[in-house]
Amino acid sequence: MSCTVARQRCGARSGCDMFWFRKKNDAPPPEPMLPATAAPAALSPPPVEAPSAPQVDLLRQWMSLAELQQRVIHTLAAEVAHTSAFVETEADSLSQRFRALADGAQEQTDRVDTLTSLAVGIDVDGKVVTVDEIARLLEDTLDDVVAKILLLSKESMSMVYALDALNGNVRRVEACLEQIDTINRVTQMVAINARIEAERAGQAGATFRVVADEMNQLSKSIRSVAMSMRDELMAICGSIERGHVTLKQVATVDMSSNIMVRERLDTLLPALVRRNDDIRSVIAEAAGGAGSISADVSGMITGIQFQDRTKQRLEHVVDTLNVVCEAFRDVMGSTRAAAPELAAAREPDVTWVKNLLSRFTMSEMRERFVAHVLDGEPVEWPEDSGTAEADDGGSMELF
Amino acid sequence: MRFDYDAGSGCFAMTGEFTFADHPIFQGVLTQIGDGRDRSIVFDVSGLSFIDSAGLGMLILAREEARKLGSTIRLRGPRGQVKRILAVTKFDALFPVEA
Repeated sequence: MSCTVARQRCGARSGCDMFWFRKKNDAPPPEPMLPATAAPAALSPPPVEAPSAPQVDLLRQWMSLAELQQRVIHTLAAEVAHTSAFVETEADSLSQRFRALADGAQEQTDRVDTLTSLAVGIDVDGKVVTVDEIARLLEDTLDDVVAKILLLSKESMSMVYALDALNGNVRRVEACLEQIDTINRVTQMVAINARIEAERAGQAGATFRVVADEMNQLSKSIRSVAMSMRDELMAICGSIERGHVTLKQVATVDMSSNIMVRERLDTLLPALVRRNDDIRSVIAEAAGGAGSISADVSGMITGIQFQDRTKQRLEHVVDTLNVVCEAFRDVMGSTRAAAPELAAAREPDVTWVKNLLSRFTMSEMRERFVAHVLDGEPVEWPEDSGTAEADDGGSMELF
Repeated sequence: MRFDYDAGSGCFAMTGEFTFADHPIFQGVLTQIGDGRDRSIVFDVSGLSFIDSAGLGMLILAREEARKLGSTIRLRGPRGQVKRILAVTKFDALFPVEA
């Protein structure tokens, strides 16, 4: 609501102004109320004895004081009206700023709400997976990995021992082949001896000769088979040896460090879950705080809107001051009409006024009082008087 | 690593680092277990300063060998890296572990 301070010059009446609050399209202010005793008809007393000189001087002193009081009241009414307008303008401005603040606080609340949903977990294919679930999934996966490492280690060692056993078997087969070679050499020697004896026996040894030849052939066959078996056995030995080497390479890959990663994660995962819980807790507090700020700001806006009542009170104050001022003026006018010798009023009591003004701590207010009360000039404010804002770079006199 | 076997208590005291390189000597332990003379076997690992994944595999082989004969194996006094890795691999679910 906008409000202006209007000023009306009171025509012939002592050159002073009337101040009142006026809203747009308001009607002019009411006529001032006068005391019944101020009616000129009441000032037609019967002839009385002329006042003495001290009485005249005292009456002039009263007239002078009344003049000053009139100006002071008039200036005060102007100050109140102007200040009220200033307060109203500032209240409007504050109200707008608080509304902007309330909007900002609401946006902040919305953002915190979004953050709360983000802190709950991760959106995967439209489904929220909580940090707890992620931690459990990781733990289960690591348990599985550790179990497989152990199984791999056990099976590798089992295979190593199986190859060791196979290697032993091969060595024993080699020993058997050595025995076969020995037997074969003896058999061959027997065949040779049998042939010699057969030749020595002549015709009678023909049968021995046949047997000796067959034994010789048999020995050669056995030696040939034995050599083939040895070749195969050597090939098997080579394969076993290579398998053993390969298995050793697998089995000696130490996976204990990988297993110990599980220990590290056992520490990290609960810490991660705890931190997530802390974040959620802090965000919840922030959401509560943001909501509280919104409510406070809304309350402030409502409180500022009650400024209208303050304005109405000040209107009454100004109206009352104007009525009093008008009453002073009328009584003074009546007094001058009844006692023209008093028209030449005393000079204003400048000392009294200066003492009054020395109580003012605001220089610009003091200057207005000096201009109006002492110099009789109309009350004027600079264009930006009372509405200048401290943050516009202008200085503001506080005390 | 060194194995010290106490026939009276059926306890194998292990000292040093238990790795793949110890598999030939551990073959003797497996043979000893396979004899079935000890129904309650103890591996005192308090002297072990390190065990790798091959060592863990050999312990599991020993357990299976003992189970074939109805025997049990307990682990005694793990510490340091050995204690931590036994905990991480949840060996206490396979072997009774004594402090």
